[in-house]
Amino acid sequence: MTLMNRVIACLDVKDGRVVKGVGFVNLRDEGDPVLLAERYEAQGADEIVYLDISATNEGRSTLLDLVRRTAERLFIPLTVGGGMRSVEDIAAALRAGADKIAINSAGVRRPALFTDAAKRFGSQCVVASIDAQRNGESWEVYVNGGREPTGLDAIGWATKCTELGAGEILLTSIDRDGARSGYDLELLSRVASVATVPVIASGGAGSAADIRDAFTRGGADAALLAGLLHSGITDIQSIKKALRADGISVRMAA
Amino acid sequence: MTHIGIFDYGAGNLHSLVKAIEGADRSVSVDTDIRLSLKGDILILPGVGAFGAAVAAMRGAQGYVRSALADGRPCLGVCLGMQMLFDSSEEAPGSNVGIGLIPGRVMRLLTPKVPHMGWNEIEWVGSAKLPAAYFANAYVCEPDDVSSVLAWTTHQNRRFASVVRTANTVGVQFHPEKSSVAGRSFVNGVIDEILQCK
Repeated sequence: MTLMNRVIACLDVKDGRVVKGVGFVNLRDEGDPVLLAERYEAQGADEIVYLDISATNEGRSTLLDLVRRTAERLFIPLTVGGGMRSVEDIAAALRAGADKIAINSAGVRRPALFTDAAKRFGSQCVVASIDAQRNGESWEVYVNGGREPTGLDAIGWATKCTELGAGEILLTSIDRDGARSGYDLELLSRVASVATVPVIASGGAGSAADIRDAFTRGGADAALLAGLLHSGITDIQSIKKALRADGISVRMAA
Repeated sequence: MTHIGIFDYGAGNLHSLVKAIEGADRSVSVDTDIRLSLKGDILILPGVGAFGAAVAAMRGAQGYVRSALADGRPCLGVCLGMQMLFDSSEEAPGSNVGIGLIPGRVMRLLTPKVPHMGWNEIEWVGSAKLPAAYFANAYVCEPDDVSSVLAWTTHQNRRFASVVRTANTVGVQFHPEKSSVAGRSFVNGVIDEILQCK
């Protein structure tokens, strides 16, 4: 008996609508977030993540309204990320109905944000979102939607975020994002082997076998899915059935 | 009409909890004043994340909760709300924040991975009521008397009480309101059960 592996559905949200970037560009409209989130819960998703890529203030207030509408209809945990710059931003998202918040660029610019958020709201609701790109034998952390290099080593940064107070790591491979060629297992296992908090694999899922590998070979606690689900190629129930057949402990929808 | 009072002693998300337990024959109110929450037929101590803020907000409320529970008021504690039912917590050393209804302490999880985050199985002492639920906790309850434990859960090398009960007070370490359809039906069942034995 132990924690089951989680399958998390991620919706990239812009101005209240779902979009999914391929390699962080070429945004394509995929529909209403609340309807999609409910559909994924019914299929057996263990959690939902909204990553907001709105750049404007109007987009931000639309997001909070969306979180409110979602929280009233969703009965699995909801994580909200994107543009979390201050404790006030975080408080607003939690008040609106988010269970966890993901900190990315702002945490690189001001690492104390992790500590401030953890002290005020608890580590269990602070997720460190790390976008990493392979650079020879190591991985570099990028910010601003994967456009800006930081010079930070992804494995070292993951450890640092945890020390600062993050209770979970959402690790996205920029190289694999949208490619459906599998998660970056090397990156994953390097981070998972040093992490003292759960690690969520992100970027590259193309099949149930890729997700299984993220758990068994990458050491991930959870796997994030986006484009693979929204495209309708497969659904969470089929993925979980396949995982279960491979001996992975996952929760099946009632 | 049953009235449920949720005591809001922090900045946590209570939307899902309210929606999970609302019904045609039930009204739910969320209040930051414990005296208002205690006007209901049943008190819910929800699970919010920030212990420090919770301690501050709880200060002064323990006495009211303690005497209401002693008078037989049904109560459900969720996550941190369950931990509040105990005497003391390592998360707030030296302070006497607990309601002290269930003798015992709240201890930090000393497992390789903390927090204990995600869906885990529930091992019932008696008949199984919910096979698995969503947890997000870094601390666990250690009751002095294990006869109050209705169910256990194991995270890595640590087994801990995930459901406790004494008279008509129930504490759950997981989040039923975040445990999808099965969690909602479980929490509504618990509410009906503890109301009946009032």
